[in-house]
Amino acid sequence: MRGIKTKVSGLILLLLLATTVLSACTRSGAQLGESSSDQGAANDDGDRITLRLAVWGAPDEVKPYKIAIEKFESEHPNIKVELQHIATDYDTKLTTMVAGNDVPDVAMMESGSIAYPLAEQGKFYNLQDFLADDPDINADSLVPNITYSLEKGNVIGIAPGPETFGLFYNEDAFKEAGAEPPPSNVSDAWTWDEFVDVAKQLTLDNQGRNAADPQFDPKNIKQYGVNLPSWWASYSNFVYSNGGDFISEDGKDFALNQPEAVEALQNLADLVNVHHVAPSPVQSKNIPATHVALQTKKVAMAIDGQWVSSSLAQSNFNFNVGVLPVMKEPQTTVVCAMFSMFKSTEHPEESWELIKALIDPESSIDMLTAGTWMPAELDWYTDPALLDRWTKDLPARPSGYQDAIIDVLLNHSHQTPTGYVKNFNKIMDVVTPALDKVWLGQQSAQEAMDGIADKAQAQVQGRRD
Amino acid sequence: MRKSLFYGLLFTSPAILGFLIFTLGPMIASLVLSFTDYSVFKDRTSFIGFGNYVRMFSGANDYFYPSLGATFYFVVLRVPAVIVLSFLIALLLNMNVKGRAFFRTVVYLPSIVPAVASAMIWMWLLNPDLGLVNTLLNAVGLPGSLWLYGESSVVPAVVLTSLWGIGGTVIIFLAGLSGIPRQYYEAIDVDGGGWFSKLRHITVPLVSPTIFFNAIMTIIGSIQVFNEAYILTQGGPNNKSLFYVFYLWRTGFRDTEMGYASALAWVLFLVILFFTFIVFRTSKSWVYYEGEGR
Repeated sequence: MRGIKTKVSGLILLLLLATTVLSACTRSGAQLGESSSDQGAANDDGDRITLRLAVWGAPDEVKPYKIAIEKFESEHPNIKVELQHIATDYDTKLTTMVAGNDVPDVAMMESGSIAYPLAEQGKFYNLQDFLADDPDINADSLVPNITYSLEKGNVIGIAPGPETFGLFYNEDAFKEAGAEPPPSNVSDAWTWDEFVDVAKQLTLDNQGRNAADPQFDPKNIKQYGVNLPSWWASYSNFVYSNGGDFISEDGKDFALNQPEAVEALQNLADLVNVHHVAPSPVQSKNIPATHVALQTKKVAMAIDGQWVSSSLAQSNFNFNVGVLPVMKEPQTTVVCAMFSMFKSTEHPEESWELIKALIDPESSIDMLTAGTWMPAELDWYTDPALLDRWTKDLPARPSGYQDAIIDVLLNHSHQTPTGYVKNFNKIMDVVTPALDKVWLGQQSAQEAMDGIADKAQAQVQGRRD
Repeated sequence: MRKSLFYGLLFTSPAILGFLIFTLGPMIASLVLSFTDYSVFKDRTSFIGFGNYVRMFSGANDYFYPSLGATFYFVVLRVPAVIVLSFLIALLLNMNVKGRAFFRTVVYLPSIVPAVASAMIWMWLLNPDLGLVNTLLNAVGLPGSLWLYGESSVVPAVVLTSLWGIGGTVIIFLAGLSGIPRQYYEAIDVDGGGWFSKLRHITVPLVSPTIFFNAIMTIIGSIQVFNEAYILTQGGPNNKSLFYVFYLWRTGFRDTEMGYASALAWVLFLVILFFTFIVFRTSKSWVYYEGEGR
């Protein structure tokens, strides 16, 4: 009796083990089977295909994609889109998918991380080929600087929209200080010195004295004039505005140690260490997100991306946006993600249609009116009726928006350095730690950039444009 | 006999299979990969012999030696701190006081707080401007520190935050302490010794196997420090907290140089092996096992 019992339990155990091992196999087996039956079906009733799409983003950012997919599927009844929303560790997961030869057909990519390494290995379709023949959209119908190219003529990704920078501010803080708010039209933009003067008026210590006051106490600042744009995309606005760049025009030399760039960086650092109108990187840790910082008057002005419009609109206070101060030329950097099509896709035509659907402003109208995004298609800026749909009478689009953001985007925008500087990440691995010392006032911008010039130069591999 | 062997293997097979498939297999794979230029995105991978290792040790890479240095600094500070502190706390918790269960819970509690949550708390506490720690130091007239934002203070600050989670080590010490027979202490009472004699001649020798175990585990855990760099500092400021495993992860997953990252991992494995070996070799002179006789 006992013998039988053990035998039975042994059998059950074996069975259990077998099922666990086998179920692991059957998953991939089932997928294989599915795809083959898909193909079988394809022969029967037209092309029934599945496209896989990978995106990241907060839930409200994924919603427009879902809307776009629904619309796309209803227009293409033979296509099913499988959305993979990877909220965290996107690059790591996509890398793993690439390693496992299991990549999506279309994926959202980030220019600063793995998009270019993948493109350099020929993993993406050249979207220029599609743009060239497409009846609906082409290079000229898109907003400037929202495509990414591996080299001239090889477009590896198209963004669902641009994002640029502006000078956001709390209108009440200006009224209280009796200061003139930032101009919104680029022709009236502040020079750097004018900007510093206003920032001083708006920087208050705990006794209410401003930074222009000889009695001013920089150790106890209650309200800063402006935040410190220490992120590369933020300070790139000023490097470009001052005629500088990350690498030289011929792509051979590291250029952040050149006079134009150094002056721009030093000006920014001086906001903290000379003028005491901006928080140091350490103090910045106490400064909340831009919308809260402006609302609570921790800062009176904030140099930030236009995407903050959305959260500013939801906070209940009088904010507006002006044009960034100009060092030499008005410039704003366009930063954006992109949609890319993997070479391994079996359905490039359909994938292209999917990309078009994803960047269609109609689908993302909620994000446009909320303020987080801007549309990708030029019509939506030039056609007054379309422009009104995402800018008119909306809390996220204050009175300065048209001039300070849209006009500057269309006429004075610069591509993000990730889009044309080869090996950008490795160069910034060297630059960023050195800049920390500049923001902290431990080194001048010239010293810091000269100090790492050789190491940075070793990482320079040229330009893509 | 054969039958019991069969069932023995059967019942342990999940663990054995798990080890073979998820640990040994990947380890061998990474050893092979460490001799290649494998980058996930490249279609072609070729063997480059010891190229990765040469690149590492020649100093051609700017981050290898600094990351090794930062990690050793962390280990040197953290291991003694963890062992001494958790031993002292275990001694306190082992005393027969009121609310002992409560105190034990409190000491262990941080260990079950998610790493990210506790990291956020520490970032607030150690904030140079508004943080509680600097505020308290200033209140008693001591200068504050930049803590996580200062080049010289970042590693000690990270050690400080990691000490918060020593509850697990304390528990193991407690188990070791409670295994000491009471009569040994009574013998000292009879012979007229004080608390120090008890500690020196009874407690420490009898828990030395536990100290040994905890030391090894803490050394290995400290060499593999990752979370703190990932969450608190991102390796900064100025790469002063670019811990080895964080650097390895960055190489493998951000820069997608998996071949080189595998080589880094194997060097780390040898480093850990080396230190474990040293501790094992010296253990004969200071670890006392009951019944062994000396």
